[in-house]
Amino acid sequence: MSVNITDYNSKNIPTWCPGCGNFAVHTALKKALSDLNISPSEAFMSFDIGCNGNGADKINIYGFKGLHGRSIPLAIGAHLANRKFTVIADIGDGGCFHEGLDHLIHAIRSNYNITILIHNNENFALTTGQATVTTKKNKPMYGLPFGRIERDLNISEFILNLKPTFFAKAYSQDPLQLSEILKKSINHNGCSVIEIMQLCPTYNKEFTHEWATENIKKIDSIEGYNSNSLESAREILKDTTKIYTGIVYEETETKSFYDSLENRKNMKTELVDEVKKYDIKKLLEKF
Amino acid sequence: MSQKRIVVKFGGQSGQGINTIGKLFTKSLNKSGYKVFAYREYPSIIKGGVASYQIDISNSSIGSSSKYCDILVAYTPETLNEYLPLVKESGIVIYDNKDINLTEDQDAFLKNNNITPIYLDSVSIAKNSGGTEIMSNVVVLGFVWKILNLKPEILVEEILEHFKKKNVDLEAEKNSIMGGFNSPTYRPELTDKIEIPKISEIFKKKSLVISGNEALSLGAIASGIRAYYGYPMTPATSIFKFLGETSTETGILVKQAENEITAVQMALGSMYMGTRALVATSGGGFDLMIESITCAGITETPLVIVLSQRTGAATGVPTWTGAGDLNTALKGGHGDFPKCILSCSDVHSSYTLIQKAFNISEKYQLPVIVLTEKQLSESLYTVNSLPNDLPIERGLQDGALRYEITDNGISPRWIPSKEKTVYIHNSDEHNEEGTSVESSEEVLEMSDKRMRKMTTLLEGIPEPAMYGDRNASIIFVGWGTVKNTILDIMEDNKDIGYLHYEYIYPLKTDKFEELISTEKRVILVENNQTGQLGNLIKEQTGYDFKEKLLKYDGRPFFIEDILNFLNM
Repeated sequence: MSVNITDYNSKNIPTWCPGCGNFAVHTALKKALSDLNISPSEAFMSFDIGCNGNGADKINIYGFKGLHGRSIPLAIGAHLANRKFTVIADIGDGGCFHEGLDHLIHAIRSNYNITILIHNNENFALTTGQATVTTKKNKPMYGLPFGRIERDLNISEFILNLKPTFFAKAYSQDPLQLSEILKKSINHNGCSVIEIMQLCPTYNKEFTHEWATENIKKIDSIEGYNSNSLESAREILKDTTKIYTGIVYEETETKSFYDSLENRKNMKTELVDEVKKYDIKKLLEKF
Repeated sequence: MSQKRIVVKFGGQSGQGINTIGKLFTKSLNKSGYKVFAYREYPSIIKGGVASYQIDISNSSIGSSSKYCDILVAYTPETLNEYLPLVKESGIVIYDNKDINLTEDQDAFLKNNNITPIYLDSVSIAKNSGGTEIMSNVVVLGFVWKILNLKPEILVEEILEHFKKKNVDLEAEKNSIMGGFNSPTYRPELTDKIEIPKISEIFKKKSLVISGNEALSLGAIASGIRAYYGYPMTPATSIFKFLGETSTETGILVKQAENEITAVQMALGSMYMGTRALVATSGGGFDLMIESITCAGITETPLVIVLSQRTGAATGVPTWTGAGDLNTALKGGHGDFPKCILSCSDVHSSYTLIQKAFNISEKYQLPVIVLTEKQLSESLYTVNSLPNDLPIERGLQDGALRYEITDNGISPRWIPSKEKTVYIHNSDEHNEEGTSVESSEEVLEMSDKRMRKMTTLLEGIPEPAMYGDRNASIIFVGWGTVKNTILDIMEDNKDIGYLHYEYIYPLKTDKFEELISTEKRVILVENNQTGQLGNLIKEQTGYDFKEKLLKYDGRPFFIEDILNFLNM
């Protein structure tokens, strides 16, 4: 039986602001999952706290809305327990690069087979517009009339420096491209990171659809671009005059975390299938 | 048969091999038919300092240490200075370090207390036996073994078994042990000074020499855990070690996470998906996990955390024991939410309670904190066997609404799978479907449903256990390893009884109320500064303990601590 995109619809009405990028991101997600014929009961999503997390009960899927900054390790735990599930961790630029940055670093280097969706709307929106690491320097923000004084962090470069096995950038108002990227990331056996440049018409008025349309360049359109080359990836990420969307970098040489576990090599079952009495008699021989 | 004990203490630097010596000695004594309790003290450094390994040897089961020893083996001048005052009258002090020169005061102490100092040239004996300098360690073991008048074959066998896997000259090893055993330094009056207890034949059965953390790990394996997520922190780390070293046999996924928050979050994810995952840590790491515990509470995700306690706030006294983390387990976390706290006290309860913890956590869908202590985590106990396994109870039940409002507070929970209805665990307050809500009625309805689980759980757990003679007039009330010290004393003191809390929260109070309605002398005993269990009891019963025995210097309760308190 084929999966329909509407299978993912929840009866709850979204609470995002009019024009919020999250509407299209959810549509892209539902499209990618249903295109891959993955049913809502075959996928798990963890949600962070923030506007992305307010979408947790707006999609019909096995889900867990947890704590701020922690959606990545929560997703990893779910993935390791049952790899039959497609696992996606949803998080914003605030939760990912402030509260829980350690998790991103170790998830990428461990190469768990999950997809991390970073909603980059360049601010902490749900708490009404505080500065994040991606907010433009000196832009007046909540509590900061003269803006953030600390230096910028180019989060795309940061992510690439961790050598993710899959890294893509997308734009919230291009759900078709995002859903194609999502499908590739779900099929990638390793840690996939997707940074979504997301509209926030309430707190990031400078980043408009018009501006984005003019300044976005699709990686697919770059002649000779090699998504297996870190060099190519570095080149385009350095160019801050444009936003490049598409698959920035991918490689399939590095094994996923689970596939590297010696003691799980010959196990046919998942951890969730194995909860039963275990006879410790043999282990007692060493005492 | 009354309980006899003699005590041998090995003192040296950290990293000098004291731990190995102590373990081999303990295991050999066990094989010789003795019941032993082995207790380690060590500083939080890799090399140097003063470390000790004390073995209390008895003719019947014991679970505590004496403060004083009959034989002190001092490998360094520092350990001699530190531990000489703890040698009993008529005891023996053995040292093999040429740098040790007894001071005038020490000499006087020896004479006044009829303590015999023995210098054993263990290095020469090792070299004459074809061994290396490091083998002087086993020379000393052979010598002590001779004083105890025990059969050398058992000691030799145990030591060789240990070194078999290492690249050492086994013949020289054996000759060194026997060199110590047959050393001319030995005099029969040394044996006369130490009265090793006689053991009856029924006790000569081989028993298990095992630590609390090993027992707890085995219990966790038996209960079907399939993942362990951890971050190193003494004294919980040996759980990680044991589960890691046995992971080839068990197939358990063992993951050292980047920090404690990650570890507990991974466990939440895994438990949501329907496997059993264990997390263990100590105070500081536990504090980092507290927000996640509140998340388990409101989302009703099963979660089991082992909290192995040491002494003090922040870094405190990191390699020493205590039971001062009940408050953080009890009160840690914002908001009101149901939870359960269990406390291990010995090998048996470590093995059983971790199984119980998973059953409670899954059936009632709440976080369970299992308390243990460095004293239990790392000490070696001898037990005849481990208790019977508990059946696995998961409380799984299909339903339409994950957070269905029920009378007993327990909603249906099913393992996520393709065939079943999807659901969300939501850390926002939510309705029966898991949808975020903020209305007064819905907030109250779900908060009350969740908290009803505490009433249901309270009915499902036992009252504290009362130990001792019904006519005993002095009753201690406590939790954790202090139980073992008091039970050891009770062997020969029928006037002492003990009320032991294993299931600490929710708190059962019937038996306690019954106790305080009598004329008995009731004493609170705890290994912390403020009497944390006593405060919980007071909060729930209004009873203010008139007598408290509180110890919080990083040391466990020694036999003498209790006896001195009672002027016995």
